[in-house]
Amino acid sequence: MAIAEELAALRERTLAEIAAADTSAALEAVRVAVLGKSGTLTGYLRSMGSVPPEERATVGKTVNAARVEVEEALAARKAALDAAELEAAIDAAAVDVTLPGRAQQMGTRHLINGIIDEVSDIFMGLGYKVVEGSEIETDYYNFTALNAPADHPSRSMQDTFYIHDLSGDTSRVRGESDVLLRTQTSGVQVHTMEDWDLPIYMVAPGKVYRRDVADPSHLPQFHQIEGLVVDKGITFGDLKGTLDYVCKQIFGPERKTRFRAHYFPFTEPSAEADVSCGICHGEGCRMCKGTGWIEILGCGMVDPNVLSMSGIDPEVYSGFAFGMGVERIACLKYDVPDLRMLLEGDMRFLRQF
Amino acid sequence: MKVSLKWLSAYTEVPSDLKAFCDRLDLTGTGVEGVEKTGDHFDRIVVGHVLTCEPHPDSDHMHVVTVDAGEAEPVQIVCGAPNIAADIKVPVALVGAELPGDFKIKKSKLRGVASCGMCCSKRELGLSQDHSGIWVLPDDAPVGLPMADYLGAGDTVLDLEITPNRPDCLSMVGMAREVGAMYQQPVAYPLAADVEKLAGVTAGEDVAGAVTVEVSDAVRCPRYTARVIDNVKVGPSPEWLAERVTAAGGRPINNVVDVTNYILYLYGQPLHAFDFAKVAADDGRAHIIVRAAAAGEHLTTLDGEDRELTEDMTVIATPERAVALAGVMGGENSEVTEETTCVLLESAAFERGRTSRTSRNLGLISESSMRYERGVDDHLCEVVSQAAAALLAEVSGGTVRPGVVDVYGQPTEQVELSFRIPRFVGMMGAEIPDDFIRDILVRLGCAVEATDDSAVLRVLPPTFRPDLEREIDLYEEVLRLWGMDRISPTLPGGRERVGSRTPEQLTVRLVNDALRASGLNETMTYSFAEPGDIERLRLPAEGLGVAVELLNPLNAEQSVMRQSIVPGLLRSVAYNQSRGVKNIQLYEIGTVFFAAEGRKKAKERKKLAGVLAGAMREPAWNAPAVPFDFFDAKGVLENLARELALPKVRFRALSAEEAPHLQPGRAAEMMANGAVVGWVGEIHPLVADAFGAEPPVVAFELDVNALVKNAQPARPYVDVPTFPAVTMDQAFVVGEDVTHEKMVQVMTSAGGKLLESVALFDVYRDEERVGAGKKSMAYSLVWRAPDRTLTSEEVEKAHAKLVAKVEKATGAEVRG
Repeated sequence: MAIAEELAALRERTLAEIAAADTSAALEAVRVAVLGKSGTLTGYLRSMGSVPPEERATVGKTVNAARVEVEEALAARKAALDAAELEAAIDAAAVDVTLPGRAQQMGTRHLINGIIDEVSDIFMGLGYKVVEGSEIETDYYNFTALNAPADHPSRSMQDTFYIHDLSGDTSRVRGESDVLLRTQTSGVQVHTMEDWDLPIYMVAPGKVYRRDVADPSHLPQFHQIEGLVVDKGITFGDLKGTLDYVCKQIFGPERKTRFRAHYFPFTEPSAEADVSCGICHGEGCRMCKGTGWIEILGCGMVDPNVLSMSGIDPEVYSGFAFGMGVERIACLKYDVPDLRMLLEGDMRFLRQF
Repeated sequence: MKVSLKWLSAYTEVPSDLKAFCDRLDLTGTGVEGVEKTGDHFDRIVVGHVLTCEPHPDSDHMHVVTVDAGEAEPVQIVCGAPNIAADIKVPVALVGAELPGDFKIKKSKLRGVASCGMCCSKRELGLSQDHSGIWVLPDDAPVGLPMADYLGAGDTVLDLEITPNRPDCLSMVGMAREVGAMYQQPVAYPLAADVEKLAGVTAGEDVAGAVTVEVSDAVRCPRYTARVIDNVKVGPSPEWLAERVTAAGGRPINNVVDVTNYILYLYGQPLHAFDFAKVAADDGRAHIIVRAAAAGEHLTTLDGEDRELTEDMTVIATPERAVALAGVMGGENSEVTEETTCVLLESAAFERGRTSRTSRNLGLISESSMRYERGVDDHLCEVVSQAAAALLAEVSGGTVRPGVVDVYGQPTEQVELSFRIPRFVGMMGAEIPDDFIRDILVRLGCAVEATDDSAVLRVLPPTFRPDLEREIDLYEEVLRLWGMDRISPTLPGGRERVGSRTPEQLTVRLVNDALRASGLNETMTYSFAEPGDIERLRLPAEGLGVAVELLNPLNAEQSVMRQSIVPGLLRSVAYNQSRGVKNIQLYEIGTVFFAAEGRKKAKERKKLAGVLAGAMREPAWNAPAVPFDFFDAKGVLENLARELALPKVRFRALSAEEAPHLQPGRAAEMMANGAVVGWVGEIHPLVADAFGAEPPVVAFELDVNALVKNAQPARPYVDVPTFPAVTMDQAFVVGEDVTHEKMVQVMTSAGGKLLESVALFDVYRDEERVGAGKKSMAYSLVWRAPDRTLTSEEVEKAHAKLVAKVEKATGAEVRG
C-alpha cells in the first residue's frame, strides 16, 4: 500500500499547504503544483495505467477522493482569500470624500444677459414675442416718431451720442446729427408697429447709449427692455396689472408696486413705476433714500400720435408701452456696487453668476 | 424748480405733513428731488450785542470786540469792518457755524489776537450782495436769538423735477394751481392785486414817445411788449424780495434785476431789463428791432462770453447793434448798472424750438431759455409786464410811463376739445365720477361746458398749458390727480397672442449654451473703440468698411464704434492678468459696426468672439492644468459646430499674409457648408503685447449670421449599431506637409461604407526613428457593417486596400 500511503501523505501535505496559502497567488501555486498539468496528484491520475489492475479500483477511488477533497479545500480557501482580498482592496481604495471632485469647468452667463433671459421668459409666458432692434438709429425712430420732434425739450432729458453722418446731410444744431446711438429701446416700438400685424404683444431687450461718464452708478452703454402692447380695449389697469405681475416675478411675491405720474413724449398718460424697497420693506432706508420705494421702470399708454404715425387708428386700438433698465435690476437684485464691473471682464466677477 | 413752502403758502394751503405732501407731489407727476430746510445754514449764527470795541494793537483797520452772544461768557472777536462799534446789535457767527461757500468758522488768531467768531455782513450770510459793512440790526433784536428765527427763515424749500411738458409749473402761481388741484382746495392768485398797483406809480409821457418796436418775423417772436420805468434808483432789494429770490434759487443782485427774476419765478414770464440810455438812439428814443442774427454777428452776453451767432438765432437789436440774445440772455452792452436811471422792460414770447436750438448751439441754458423752449404764454406777456413795472417802480422809487408798446403778431389759440367720459373711463379701466372730472379740469384752468350729449364735455384748455392739445392730454390730467394707485390691476384679455422667440434668437441661445458647456464665461465689453484698434489688432481691413465715428465722444479712447470684439476682449485679458488672474476663458456676442461713405446708417453685424489664456483651471490634486493652445479654441468651435449641426465644417490653414493678427502656423479659417464663418488661432505675440496682454492668447471671432444661416434645425437619426465592430490601429509615417485633413479624406474615401470612423490617437516625431521632416500619425479605424458581423477576411482585405491607397496618395509609409 505504498501508493495509498503516498496519497495520504500528499493529501495531508496539500491540505496543509492550502490552509497555509495566504494569497491567491500562493494558493494558485499550490493548485498548479498538485492539480496542474504536471501536478503531483495529476501524476497519480495519469499513472493509473501502471497500477496493477487489481489495485486500480481502490487506488483510483483514493486518488479521486483526494482530488475532490483538495479541490473543495482549494475552492473554500479561494473564496476566503477572495473575500479577504476584496475587503482589503476596498479598504485600500477608501478616499477622503472631502477632496475636490473632478469636473469639467462650466462657463457662466453674464449677469445682464441672465436678467434679460429671465425677464424675456416672463413675458413669453404672458404671450409676448421677443424682438431686437439696431443700435444705430436715425433721429426719426429714436425721437420724432416717438412724438419728440426736432427741438422738443424732452430730447434734452437724454444726452445723446451723435454719429458722423456720411450721407452728406447736416444738422441744424452744431454737434448734432441725423444718426445716433439709440438712447432708448423705444424705437423698436415704432418699427414693430410699422412692420407687424395687429395685435402686438412684444418685448425688445437691447443695448442703449447715453453720454454719461462711467462711474459706479452710470455707464455710457447699458440695457433696456422695451415692451409694447397694442390691441383693442387695452386699459391703464392692464398696464398696471401686467407690470405688477412682472415685478413680483422678478423681485418676489411680497414686493409691492406703485405708479407715479410722469412724462414721456410717446406715452399719455405716462408713469414711472416703483417697487417697494427690499431692504426696509417700505419703512424707508438708505437704499431707497428714505422713500420706501425704488424706481424701476417708465411706462404709459401709447400716445395716439405715435399710433397714428405708424398707421394705427387710435380710436380703434389702444396700448401700453414700458421700458425698464436692466442694470438697475441687476443692482437691486445683486447689490453690484460698481456698474463698471459689468464691462471689465474680471473673471472673479463673472464667475459669480 | 425750487419751491419755498413759505412763499407757496401765500397762495394756497400747504399741508402740514411734509412727507405726505411730497408723496402726493411724486404720485401726481411732480417729482420731489430734494427737501431743504433753509434755516439749517444759519446754525450757530445768533444776534449779538457788541459790548466793547478797541482798536487792534497791531493793525490800523481792525478792531477787537467782545460780544454778548447770549452765552455765559462774552466772546472775543477780531473784526475788520469799518462800521463796527460798541453797543450795536450784529449777527455773530460762532465757532462751528458754516457760512455760504463752505466757509467754516473756527477759533483763530488774527495778527496775534484770538478771535472766536465773526461779525457778518449781509453778503456773508448769503442774504444780498451788500458788503458795505457789518449788518447792523435794530436795537430791539433779542441777544442770543438764532438768526434763522430772527429772519423768520424757518422755511422748507422743495427741489421739484418739472417735466418738459409743464412750463406752467416753472412758476410759483403754476405750482399753487397744481397744489390746489391736487387737494381740490382754493388758490388765491396774486396777479390782479399786483397789477392794481400800477396806477399809483404811473407818471410822465406815454411810452410810445420813447420806444418803437419792430418784429421782423412773428414766428420767431409772436409777441413783444416794452414798458419804460423812469427815475430808477438802482440799489439793494428790500429784504422780502431778496429773500424770495434766494428761496427760489436765485442770487440777489440789485433791485431791478431782482424784480425781473422775482416775476420770472412767480409768473413764469421771463423779463429783460435794458438800460434805456444804452439802447436809445440820438433822438432819445429806443428803436427796438427783433430780427434774425446775421451770420457771424457777435454779441457779448451778460456772462461775459463773446458769442458768435448764426442766422438761426434771434436777437433784440437797436438799428446799430444787437443788445440781447432773444429768449436766452441779455447783452453786456445794455446791462443795467448802478448808474442806470431809466429801464426799458421787455416782456415777450419767443419761438420754442428756435430758443432750444440757440441754447444748445451755444451751450447756454438760462432760466429764460428753459422756459421759452417749453413754452411761455403769449397771452400773459402784457399783464405780467404791468405787475413787473409796478413792482420795479415800487422798489426803485421810479415811475412807469403810461401805456405799453405791444407788437402781437401771432396770438396762439387754444383748441376746444371734447372729453368723452365713457371712453376715458374705459381706457383707464376705472369708474371715475363725472363731478371729479369737471372739478379737476376747472381747477387746472380749463373752461368746461356740458354738451347736448351728457357723456361728452366741451373743454377749452388755458393758454398757459400748451401741452393740453388733445383729448388724451386731458385724460392724463384727470387720471394723475385721481391717483394711478386707485386703478385696479388687470391683465389684457387679448385672444390672438402667442409668445415666441425668433429663429435667430433660438440659434444664438444654442451658441451661448455650447460656449458655456465648453467652459467659457460670457462677458461684455464696450461697443466703443479706440481709433486704430483694427490696425493694432492687425486684422485685415477688407470687408470691415470704415469705423463709425462719434461726433461727441466721451474721450479719445472711445471715439469710434468697434469693428471687432477682439480688441475689447484682449483688454479684458490684460485687465485680468494685471490683477493676477491667469486663467481666462471669455466670450462675447455683440454688435460690430461698419460705415461706408455716402451711407447714412452704418451696417451692424452680430459677432461671436472668444479668448482663452492660461488654462481651464488651476492644477488640481487629481488633474493637471494643461495650458491652452490652438486646439482648445478649435475644440470649442467643434462643440459649437456639433451643437448647431453645421454641415461640412472644415478648418483651413491661414497664411501669415491672410491672418497677420495670428501667429503663423497656428491660424485657421472656419468654414461651414463652403462659406467662411470666421477665424480661430493664437493671437500674434506682438499683437497681444500691443493690447497689454501676455501671450499666448488663443482667440476666435465668428459671424453670428453665418452660424444662424447654416445651423440645421436637427440632425437626422442614424441607427444605433447592432453588429460588432472591428477596430484596427494603423500608424503611417508621412511628410510634415501632409495634413490630418488630407489623411482623413483619403482614408474615408478608401474605406468605403464599411469604415465607420477614423480617429487620430497619436502624432509622433523622432528624427532617428521616424525621420527628419516626417511624422508618425496613428489612427484608430473602426470597421463595421450595419447588417452583419464582418469576417476577419473582409476587414483585412478592406484595411489592406485602405493602407495601399493612403500610401499611394500621401507617400505614407506603414510603421510597424
